[in-house]
Amino acid sequence: MAIQLKANQRKDTKQSANRGLREEGNVPAVVYGKEKDPITVSVNSIELLKTVRDEGRNAIISLDVEGGKTVDVMLHEYQIDPLKDELIHADFYIVDMAQEMDVEVPVRLDGESIGSKEGGVLQQPLYHLQVRAKPNNIPEEITVDVSELNVGDSLMVSDLKQGRNYEILDDENQTIVSVTPPEEMPEEPETDDEQAEPELVGAENESDESEEKQEDDKE
Amino acid sequence: MLMPKRVKYRRQHRTSLKGRAKGGTSVAFGEYGLQAVEPAWITSRQIEAARIAMTRYMKRGGKVWIKIFPDKPYTAKPLEVRMGSGKGAPEGWVAVVKPGKIMFEIAGVSEEVAREALRLASHKLPIKTKFVKREEIGGEINEG
Repeated sequence: MAIQLKANQRKDTKQSANRGLREEGNVPAVVYGKEKDPITVSVNSIELLKTVRDEGRNAIISLDVEGGKTVDVMLHEYQIDPLKDELIHADFYIVDMAQEMDVEVPVRLDGESIGSKEGGVLQQPLYHLQVRAKPNNIPEEITVDVSELNVGDSLMVSDLKQGRNYEILDDENQTIVSVTPPEEMPEEPETDDEQAEPELVGAENESDESEEKQEDDKE
Repeated sequence: MLMPKRVKYRRQHRTSLKGRAKGGTSVAFGEYGLQAVEPAWITSRQIEAARIAMTRYMKRGGKVWIKIFPDKPYTAKPLEVRMGSGKGAPEGWVAVVKPGKIMFEIAGVSEEVAREALRLASHKLPIKTKFVKREEIGGEINEG
């Protein structure tokens, strides 16, 4: 069942009005979908964060727009202030429950690998997977068990058990997680080149000449 | 020490440090990061000192990404020289850092180790910084 979230329509889309909304604890948002007219709304910031925290990033939200009808949406995009960690804006996409869609699903590593217990370094180059599924079948996260991984082992996209309800679109040869042998700390480079100057692009002769000229002028 | 291999011009204007970082404001490669809260010029020596502090603490294990590059030359005049007679000689290289920029990232270590390594690194820098984690919306709030 979809989670309920209340939204207010906003007619005034000026920057000053949006700033006011944010000060009141709301987030300006837009609701759009295929062959649907976009609606500008605002939602309570804390409620939206709670919903996403509890149900996941790709949860189906039943958005109750004040003075309008209720629509099933998915949080499509969001903007966050990197310094204040506050939501600035959110995009809701009206989903068609019968149609498949492509979404990003987070990868969660489960367990502690044998390799990392032995001193190896667990590296995760892929934090999200592209998944194609019907909205109801989109997983909240894809769990990868790393407890069997030794030093030098890695898990590829092809090693994942494909869910029956969704299809992973990423390249099968992409590494999700690997355990690499511990690296020695790199040698600290000599500091002889502190005063070294980089060469000038395509102006070696010209620059020399011009400097000579300048020196002549000074004399 | 980080510096460009080739440059087009030997000297640059100083330019202002107004505004916020335009990109590089989220943890992209690792799991933890060190975010600038103030604007500053970070010299190549400071970057190197921070890198050494981090890697020494982490010993073996973990991976460090340096996400800033000192591509701006700064100049200085010799001591006891009267003003004028042209711009000074290039002295070093700086990275222009604006608030919000993730300067360093770490992966492959526990949060405690990452926190301490980045704390040590932050003491090598001339600005206030905060520790950030790779988090999705609705996750734990980053606190420095």
